[in-house]
Amino acid sequence: MDAVQIASVTKTFGAVTAVDDLSLVVPEGSVYGFIGPNGSGKTTTMRMITSIFYPDRGEVRVFGKQMLGARSELIGYLPEERGLYRKMAVQPMLEFYGELRSGRKVTAEVEGWLKKLELTKWATQKVQTLSKGMSQKVQFIAAVVPAPKLLILDEPFSGLDPVSADVIQSAILELRRGGVTVILSTHDMQVAENMCDYICMIFRGKKVLDGTLSSIQDQYGNDTIRVAAEGGMQFLEGLPDVERIRDLGQVQELRMARGCDPQQVLRTLMARTRLTSFSIMKPSLHDIFVRIAGPEAGEAQVA
Amino acid sequence: MHRILLIARRDYLATIRTKAFIIGLVVAPILFGGGFLGLALIQNKPDIKERRIAIVDRTGVAAAVVIQAAQERNTKELFDKKTGRQLQPRYVFETLAPAADAKVQRLELSERVRHGQLFGFVEINSTALDPSKDETAGQDYEASKDPADSQVATFMNAGGFDEVGRWLSGSTNEGIRRVRLARLGVDRSRFKEVLDNLTVGRFGLVSRDPKTGQIGEAAKKNEAAEFGIPFGLMLLLGMIVMIGSSPLLSAVTEDKAQRLVEMLLGLATPFELMMGKVLGALGVALTSSAFYIVGGTLALEGMGLSGLIPFALFPWFYVYLVADVTFLCSLAAALGAGCSSPQDAQQLAILLLAPVMIPYFMIAFIMQQPNGAISTAMSLFPPFTPMLMLLRQAMPGGVPAWQPWVGLLGVLAFTMVMVVAASRIFRVSILLQGKSAKMADLVRWAVRG
Repeated sequence: MDAVQIASVTKTFGAVTAVDDLSLVVPEGSVYGFIGPNGSGKTTTMRMITSIFYPDRGEVRVFGKQMLGARSELIGYLPEERGLYRKMAVQPMLEFYGELRSGRKVTAEVEGWLKKLELTKWATQKVQTLSKGMSQKVQFIAAVVPAPKLLILDEPFSGLDPVSADVIQSAILELRRGGVTVILSTHDMQVAENMCDYICMIFRGKKVLDGTLSSIQDQYGNDTIRVAAEGGMQFLEGLPDVERIRDLGQVQELRMARGCDPQQVLRTLMARTRLTSFSIMKPSLHDIFVRIAGPEAGEAQVA
Repeated sequence: MHRILLIARRDYLATIRTKAFIIGLVVAPILFGGGFLGLALIQNKPDIKERRIAIVDRTGVAAAVVIQAAQERNTKELFDKKTGRQLQPRYVFETLAPAADAKVQRLELSERVRHGQLFGFVEINSTALDPSKDETAGQDYEASKDPADSQVATFMNAGGFDEVGRWLSGSTNEGIRRVRLARLGVDRSRFKEVLDNLTVGRFGLVSRDPKTGQIGEAAKKNEAAEFGIPFGLMLLLGMIVMIGSSPLLSAVTEDKAQRLVEMLLGLATPFELMMGKVLGALGVALTSSAFYIVGGTLALEGMGLSGLIPFALFPWFYVYLVADVTFLCSLAAALGAGCSSPQDAQQLAILLLAPVMIPYFMIAFIMQQPNGAISTAMSLFPPFTPMLMLLRQAMPGGVPAWQPWVGLLGVLAFTMVMVVAASRIFRVSILLQGKSAKMADLVRWAVRG
C-alpha cells in the first residue's frame, strides 16, 4: 500500500498559488525527500498531508484514507519552525505531546527515546535551558513518540551540528528499518542523495522531478566530467563543447554539451596541463537542482 | 474530547502554577476594590484645613443665621465623639457689605480665592426671603445663569464633590426658613417642631407564610445588603471573567510567535486546540471564583453577616461565569490568532474588556432603575447579560422569573455562535505569519470559514 497519495492537489493563498496541480505517491516504508527552493511549496504540501491545511482542489490520502481535518496517531510531524514549551520540563512536555497524539500514556516510550538520544539527564530540565542541538533532538522525539507509521520531517537537519545531525539521521534510518515511512524536506542535496529512496523536486508549486536518484540522473545521462587538474580553473576555461564549469576547489565539474565527445575533452585537457583525476559521471543532484532552479534556468526561459 | 481536555489541563496547570496567578489572586481584589480602599484611607486622613468663606448678604438678616449654624457645626460636628479627633474642617465666615458694583466685588473676592485667602464666597440675594413674587412673575431660579438672578449663589474654586457648597445649601435653606417663619409670626420655640426632618423607615414587602397562613412581618431594609451585595457580586463576576479571559489573548499570540502552534496543529485540530485553551482558561476562572466565593463566605460568616450571603444566586453566578468566560475566551483566542505580535494583541484588548467594562459604567443607572425598560433591555443583550442580569437579580425585589431564563438562552446561543465563529477565525489565521489580520478579514473568516 502507498503511504501517501496526492492527486491533482492545488492550494492557493490569496493570489499566490503555493501548490499547483500536484500529484505524487509515497510508497510505504520508503524515505521520500522533497527538495526545492524556498517558497516552492514543500512545507505547504507537508501541511496538507498532516491535514493542517486543506487543499482547495484535489485529494490527499494517507494509508488509503482521506484525513479531512482529523489528526492521526499514525502521523508524526516535525515542523520547520521548532515549537516547544520553553518553560516546561523536557519529559513532561514530551509526554504531553505523545499523549496528545496517541491518547494514552507514553512515559516508557519517552524515556526510551531520551536514553537513545542521550538526553536522560536533561529530562527534568526546562526546555529553555537546552542548547539548540538538544532542543532539536527533543523536538525530534516529540515527532516520533509513541510510534508513527508515517513520519513527516520539515528540514530536520536545519541548524544542526554534524554530530547531532548524524544522531538524528541514524534515528530516522532506524525508524525506516522498522517499517516507518519517512517524508522529509531538505536543502542539503547530499542528505537527499544519501538518505532518500525517492526524491521529488517542487519548483514554483509544481512537481518538476520525481523518482529514485538514479532514475532522475538517467534523465540527464552521463554528461558530467569531474576532473582534478594541476593549475585548476585557469586551464579549463575555453574548452570546446563544455557548457558550464563548476569549481569545487580541489576538483571541477564540467557539463558537456549534447553530442560532446569526452575523449576529445580529455585530449584537450592533457595538452594543457597534468590531470590527477578524470571521471565521466551522471550529474549530481545539486547540479540538477541548479539547472532547474538556478539562474541559468531563468536565462534559458528568457532565451 | 480527550485532546481538548489534555490541552486544557496543560494550560490550566501552566497558569495556576505561576507566581503571577497566585499574586494576582490577592492583588486583583485590591485593584478592583482600590477605590473603596482609597476612600477609606482618605476618610482616615481627612483634610481639616480651615475653610474661610466670605458672605455678601443682601437680605440683611440671612448671614447671621448662616454664621450661627456654622458656629454650631464647628462646636458639635467636627470631632469624633469617642476619640475627640477632628474629622472635618472648621467653617469660618466673614461678612461683607454689598458693594455698589456687584461685578467688581465678585472679581475682588475671586482674586482672594485664587490667592488662597478665601475658600469661596456666597451671595444671598434679597429674593431669598420672599421668592413668591418672582415665582408668580415666572422667574426660574434653577435655569438662571446670572448670579444676580439666583436666590443664593456660591463661588468656589474647588472641583469634584463640593462639601462646602452642599453644607451651605442646607444651612442657608434652614436659616432662611427660620427667618421666613419669624416674619410670619411663628413663635421661635416652635421652629424645631416645624422644621424637624421626618425619619422614613424602609421595609421590604410583606408575604403570607404558605405553611401557617400567617401574614409575616416586613423586614427592615438593609442598605449595605441592598447596595453591597449586588455590587459586590457583579464586581466579583467581572473580575474573575477578566482574570480568566484576558491572558488568553496574549497567550495565543505568544504561542503563535514562538511557532508552537504548528507543532500543536500536527497533534490536534484547530478547534480542539482552541477549545482546550478556552477550557483551560475556564478552569483558571473557576479556581479563582472558588477562592473568592469560599473566602468571602467565610469572611462574612466570621463577621456574623452570613444572612447577607446570596446563596440562591450562586448557581446563576456560576452559569453566567461559565458562559461569559467561554464567550470571551473564544473571542480572545480568535483575536490572538489574528495578531502577529503581542503588541498587536494589546491593541485589541479593548474588545475583550468592553463586555465587562460597559456594565460597570452602567451600575449606577441600573441600580436606580433596576426594572426600567432600558435596564431590562440592556440585561437581555447577550454580551451584557451575565453582568447586568446578575446585578438586577441580586437587588431587592429581583427580576420577573422569566427574565433570567430568557437572558440565559440568549447568552448560551450567543456563546455558541461566538465559539463557532472564533474557531473559524482561529483555524484560518493561526498560521498566518508576518502580518496581523484586518477586522474585515476576521469578519469574513467568521462568516465563511
